Amino acid sequence: MAEERVVGVGAGAAGFGGYDRGGGEPGGLATQDMVLNIGPQHPATHGVLRLRITLDGERIVGCEPIVGYMHRGVEKLFEVRDYRQIIVLANRHDWLSAFSSELGVVMAVERMLGMEVPERAVWARTLLAEMNRALNHLMFLGSYPIELGAITPIFYAFRERETLQQVMEEISGGRMHYMFNRVGGLKEDLPAGWLDRASAAVAAVRRRVPQIEDLIFGNEIFLARTRGVGTISPELISAYGVSGPIARASGVDFDLRRDEPYLAYPELAEEGVLRVTTGEDGDCHSRFGMLLEQVSVSLDLADACIARLRSLPQGPINQRLPKILKAPEGATYCWTENPLGINGYYLVSRGEKTPWRLKLRSASFNNIAVLPEVLRGCVVADMIAILGSMFFVVGDIDK
Amino acid sequence: MIVQALGVRTVDDLSEFGTDPWWLSLIKAVLIFVFLLLLTLFNIWFERRVVARMQHRAGPNKNGPFGLLQSLADAMKLMLKEDIMVKAADRLLYVLAPVISVIMAFLAFAVIPFGPVVDVPFTDRQTPLQLTDLPVGVLFVIAVASVGIYGIVLGGWASGSTYSLLGGMRSTAQVISYEVAMSLALVAVFLYAGSLSTSEIVNAQQRLWYALILLPSFIIFWVSMVGETNRAPFDMPEAEGELVAGYFTEYSSMKFAMFFLAEYINMVTVSAVATTLFLGGWRAPWPLSLWDGANAGYWPVLWFLAKVMMFMFVFVWLRGTLPRVRYDQFMALGWKVLIPVALLWTVAVATIRAMTLDGGLDRRVLVGGALVAVLLFLLLSIVGERAPKEEPEAEEQPFDPFAGGYPVPPMPGQRLPRPEPAGVVPGGAQPDQEDDTARRSATEEGD
Amino acid sequence: MDVNNPRAATVDLPTPSVGPPADTGHVGALSKLAPEPARYVLNWGRRYSLWVFNFGLACCAIEFIATSMARHDFIRLGVIPFAPGPRQADLMVVSGTVTDKMAPAVRRLYEQMPDPKYVISFGSCSNSGGPYWDSYCVTKGVDQIIPVDVYVPGCPPRPEALLQGILKVQDKIAAESLGDRYPGSPPEREPLRKRLSAKALLRPLIGPKDHDDVA
Repeated sequence: MAEERVVGVGAGAAGFGGYDRGGGEPGGLATQDMVLNIGPQHPATHGVLRLRITLDGERIVGCEPIVGYMHRGVEKLFEVRDYRQIIVLANRHDWLSAFSSELGVVMAVERMLGMEVPERAVWARTLLAEMNRALNHLMFLGSYPIELGAITPIFYAFRERETLQQVMEEISGGRMHYMFNRVGGLKEDLPAGWLDRASAAVAAVRRRVPQIEDLIFGNEIFLARTRGVGTISPELISAYGVSGPIARASGVDFDLRRDEPYLAYPELAEEGVLRVTTGEDGDCHSRFGMLLEQVSVSLDLADACIARLRSLPQGPINQRLPKILKAPEGATYCWTENPLGINGYYLVSRGEKTPWRLKLRSASFNNIAVLPEVLRGCVVADMIAILGSMFFVVGDIDK
Repeated sequence: MIVQALGVRTVDDLSEFGTDPWWLSLIKAVLIFVFLLLLTLFNIWFERRVVARMQHRAGPNKNGPFGLLQSLADAMKLMLKEDIMVKAADRLLYVLAPVISVIMAFLAFAVIPFGPVVDVPFTDRQTPLQLTDLPVGVLFVIAVASVGIYGIVLGGWASGSTYSLLGGMRSTAQVISYEVAMSLALVAVFLYAGSLSTSEIVNAQQRLWYALILLPSFIIFWVSMVGETNRAPFDMPEAEGELVAGYFTEYSSMKFAMFFLAEYINMVTVSAVATTLFLGGWRAPWPLSLWDGANAGYWPVLWFLAKVMMFMFVFVWLRGTLPRVRYDQFMALGWKVLIPVALLWTVAVATIRAMTLDGGLDRRVLVGGALVAVLLFLLLSIVGERAPKEEPEAEEQPFDPFAGGYPVPPMPGQRLPRPEPAGVVPGGAQPDQEDDTARRSATEEGD
Repeated sequence: MDVNNPRAATVDLPTPSVGPPADTGHVGALSKLAPEPARYVLNWGRRYSLWVFNFGLACCAIEFIATSMARHDFIRLGVIPFAPGPRQADLMVVSGTVTDKMAPAVRRLYEQMPDPKYVISFGSCSNSGGPYWDSYCVTKGVDQIIPVDVYVPGCPPRPEALLQGILKVQDKIAAESLGDRYPGSPPEREPLRKRLSAKALLRPLIGPKDHDDVA
């Protein structure tokens, strides 16, 4: 994954000598073409992504994603927050995978501190991360059909989301932003009987998710609109550092949960519960199918974690922390497999209670960067199908 | 002039029309107008509630009994909204477009028969439950519907917005394509009924509905009527995901309400046409038709309404379940499937009809001919399969790291030139190595 | 937009000015002249037909969607979500962080909505900047650029909170008079007055009142 890191972590614009920013051939837009501004607020962008699209009839000849409408300066804010407060912002850049994002921060800090996390916390974190992954994918399973004009599946998806959110809320108090990770473990121990309710919720969702599949996945019109549309080749995936379900749908077999394991994933992989699914076609349809498969894998993982948590003896779920938490001087890079792809935190500390720099590598930014390549030559209607299947969160693009 | 069949007085001859005194025509016109308005209010509510049930929801239920007043509230609110005149708009057409749309939507109902000849209450007059009829009644409906599309096209063009223009453009192409299939589907009905007048077509279906005899026509008509009304899954002109709101993106207040009204009336209109031409119009469906009084008096209005509502339910059902068809696929369906099939079917019906009228035909000949046709079709479809075109090989292109004005990575087939660090790292450490060292130090610290 | 790309900046509309909105447009003659009972009926119509334009910006947008879903379902209240565009909307729900880059677009879309229009500021970010209170690029409260009717607190607020916010807006609409909300909006019309006769004008100010002063 060497090339990926060059793009993603940010060798940046400084490396290219001889070119100025804003260079390139002048006069790229022909006058008779129509320039269509999609967004920043457009129903299809579910968020505030703006695309400047050059059209020739209904065919797209050029596309330029204009990002930054959701830029909230979070990396700068990280530098004036201590390690507890950072979690607040960390789970808000990708609001659909809040738990997984806070996980990256606390794991980076724990690694700097050399802190061992209690086993119960490891398993509970894995459980919550997987439930969060299911939540995230359910959102896209609902929102993608709505972009293709099918309004009903999102209601089914949200019914499942509500079911899972209920147990997540019971444990953490938040429906979306859980704030349940702490450096050294979790905030509190699991409430009595919660595991039963969680397992019931997981079972209910597993029972009903096939309904979404039945509603839309085999539909003729859906197939016609997504099969062979927006195909991304594995080379393009590596060129742009695309990761997560999108990369796996193109056949790039890469999953940090298996390839650079963290939390309890090594054990789950050994047991065979953690299956890394890959697609072949790399089109919109296989990306959507990837989400469906990942949901069922996540639910399996959640069940395995619940079973394991039941068998673990009582014990602490977090470490006692000093009043003022200071990470030792140094730097670390911690990456996790977020629902949308690789999420990395590059933490540089100078031994103070706030990080000196906390660089965020977010999945959506790279996933959306490939868009111009995919969109060129498509029709406008395909643009919606492709854009929706890129599974991005605008806050994750703009940070 | 008036035949007594099964105790029902139906219109036998078009000369029955045009004999009403002016006040009766006026009452009929006003009744149709009010009926359509009320039906639209009901249909909007109906659609919301039915879709809601399909989505595990309740739908609007706080506003009036069962939320029935919801659409009334919508209408009142739209009346009170600010009427925005877009600066870039062509003023005359911008105002005219919704008016054209809505007037044409109402007009089509003039020739739809609601029932047989009935007694007018409080008088001794008798009149058919139909405003008027023409020898070319169905053509009139099609013509009016096409003119109504001008509203959409002009509205899209006059708004001066890209989204509206694209929406308008789409609907032009859509309607032209689907009108052909729709009209072709009707030809078979005309051949069987021997007339283009709606009331006579209803009379001709006394024994058997044309939906049963002319099933392919019915299906083609059904598909193209969804396309004609811009409804899901063929709602390209107002594809919310793609074109914001399509042709009415820039419309607000009453003008928007008129478009909205026109859309729902058009749905009712095509449903009514389908009912009239294929489902026996106002005639009672089978088990009910055993009762002698079913087709007499004002009862037929009820059957008619029930049939129309059945079509409306299908409209809603489609909207609740199907994703939107892509524009070019939709066009392909129209031109490559519906129109050829409709043409073939029309020819077949004409042949059979001509042979029947010429005095019977040998069934075996017919069956044999059909078999040969089917075999030919299959053969053609097998031969017609062509190998997909080979994608041209991507040629090696020079790599421009700032193509389009911002840094881009090398594409497949492009090679990254040796990056020259711009004086940041003297000594020339490669980015890969840098990252590796950072990673290594990270893992060391972590351990 | 990419400020570094000189070719890119050509198709943009002019940036709207920031400040309290000017009184634009008119809201129909009915609303100003309507007597009290009619106004009640008209307000009833407006109250139960709030078409929402969801300005979904960030996390709160997901909770907004959750509110429109089966469990909470604000469509029951006559709130129709996903209005096709701003031109058809009555209520704008600003849900999420408004950044300085986004602010002109928020303002422009607000101005595109036809009067009478209402705004719910949904969530801490759009109320006051929320957790991004010290960010260099976040607008600290959407009320700096557009007038807000109801603030819903929370980060993100629960769907129930949005339902309550919608009820508050409905109460507000029920109690208000459009003429008061848009005092200068339609060109001030003189109330219809019957023409006075010359005799009425000459009538002494104090004296027995005669009833035939109006011709």
